[in-house]
Amino acid sequence: MPAGGMQLAPTLPSDVRTLKTSEAAALLNVSPNTLRAWERRFGYPQPQRSPGKHRLYTHGEVAALRDALQEGLSISSAVSRAREALSADTNVLVGALHSFELERADGAMEAALALRSVERSVEEVLLPSLRELAARHGVDSAPWAFAARWANDWLQRAQRLAPPPTRPASVLIGDATRDEIDPDSLDVRALELFCARAGARVLPLPVRGITGLPEVLGAFAPHAVVIAGGHVPDDDVARWAYGVRSAAGPLPIALFRRGARDDRVRTTGARILAESPGDAHREVMGMIEARQSRPAVATPTPANTEIGTEAEDAPELRRRSVGL
Amino acid sequence: MSAHTSGHLRLVPATAEPKPQKTFCGHCGVEPDSDVYGRVCESCGLGVLLTANADAAPGPDDAFMIVDSSLCVCAVSRMAEDLLGAEETEAVNRHLSEFLVPADAEAAGADNLMDLVINAAGDTSETSVAVVRPPDEFGIRLRVQVGACGPPRAALLVLSDGWD
Repeated sequence: MPAGGMQLAPTLPSDVRTLKTSEAAALLNVSPNTLRAWERRFGYPQPQRSPGKHRLYTHGEVAALRDALQEGLSISSAVSRAREALSADTNVLVGALHSFELERADGAMEAALALRSVERSVEEVLLPSLRELAARHGVDSAPWAFAARWANDWLQRAQRLAPPPTRPASVLIGDATRDEIDPDSLDVRALELFCARAGARVLPLPVRGITGLPEVLGAFAPHAVVIAGGHVPDDDVARWAYGVRSAAGPLPIALFRRGARDDRVRTTGARILAESPGDAHREVMGMIEARQSRPAVATPTPANTEIGTEAEDAPELRRRSVGL
Repeated sequence: MSAHTSGHLRLVPATAEPKPQKTFCGHCGVEPDSDVYGRVCESCGLGVLLTANADAAPGPDDAFMIVDSSLCVCAVSRMAEDLLGAEETEAVNRHLSEFLVPADAEAAGADNLMDLVINAAGDTSETSVAVVRPPDEFGIRLRVQVGACGPPRAALLVLSDGWD
């Protein structure tokens, strides 16, 4: 299959084989209690949680451990072997991108998806591989640009294959990255992907575009705003955020990979999201859920807005009001 | 080859009786209750079941380590974790010399601890004894009995501070 083709379908999350605790324990020929004890002591296998909060183990992780146990002299060494087997995907992806082989890069991600969810494949294979390439070549190099463009394309393909929105949650992402080879760009695309896969509607917009914003937001009706990336200056971002607030009313706002701005956001209520897209998307969904579970409030006024202040016309205060 | 031999291989009696074997958990040292067991200890759930000559195999009260032929630590028993002050999860894949070094300055050649371990993890079935100490600790001496265990084949180091 040519590089860039749609290769994700067979391994999307609904196809990623997961096991309940009892099934995973049976595969390993141990008791469920032993499996939970391994999770505490070794951190492996690391289950995800079902919507009902039950443990769900990835079949690939359990199978890797089962095989490693046959050759291991202890649980620790078997866990170590199993982890090595799983990390092989990262080495393959780095190797493929290092030698500019797009088909092999797609294949490495397919292999990763056979063992993990899309989220974990991105967080454990794609992003670490790209970070390694950035460290090896520098982010102003041609090899980095080649790899970053492939990774951006892969993430966008994955997002197109995400299931349709399933919950009343819309996230507006203000993209403040430079371009698709900005090192933060991949994390921003990953955040978009994870939010979409969590059932939310996601609309990424560049923070430099203000014209026509009310029309777009009138149709999209966001529940939360994330300003992501650190390239665009604060003043430009503030103007965009003010435009969003004017069009969509008060909204919870969060910053993702915007750099060290703690001092300036501490008093404004803007939330700084975790650096990892996986943690950040959970925080965003939590913000929306918390807001939706709150009792309805009266028509917003500057005093009760979440991103507004009483002096919104003053540029400096406007800038502070969006937590920049 | 002499003239009267036909060149066919012949079965010959074993020169030594096989030694009795014992199965034990690589973490808690407990012997499994039944003859039918899996790979993982049902008693503690934190170790794999291994087999060694009965005279070299540890018991539940013994501190022991398992080391492969490249001298990497593969398992540390619960008692050895206490004795060496190192959790198995931190010790695995590290070199044996980070935890034990020969304490007998006179020992050399085949008596050297590392040689004993390599031989035990290789093809020697004999059990040997050496004196060791933790690195950077000169006031502590431990007796170590080096034997073989598996599968897969590895060296079994049973530590004690007694000399009887």
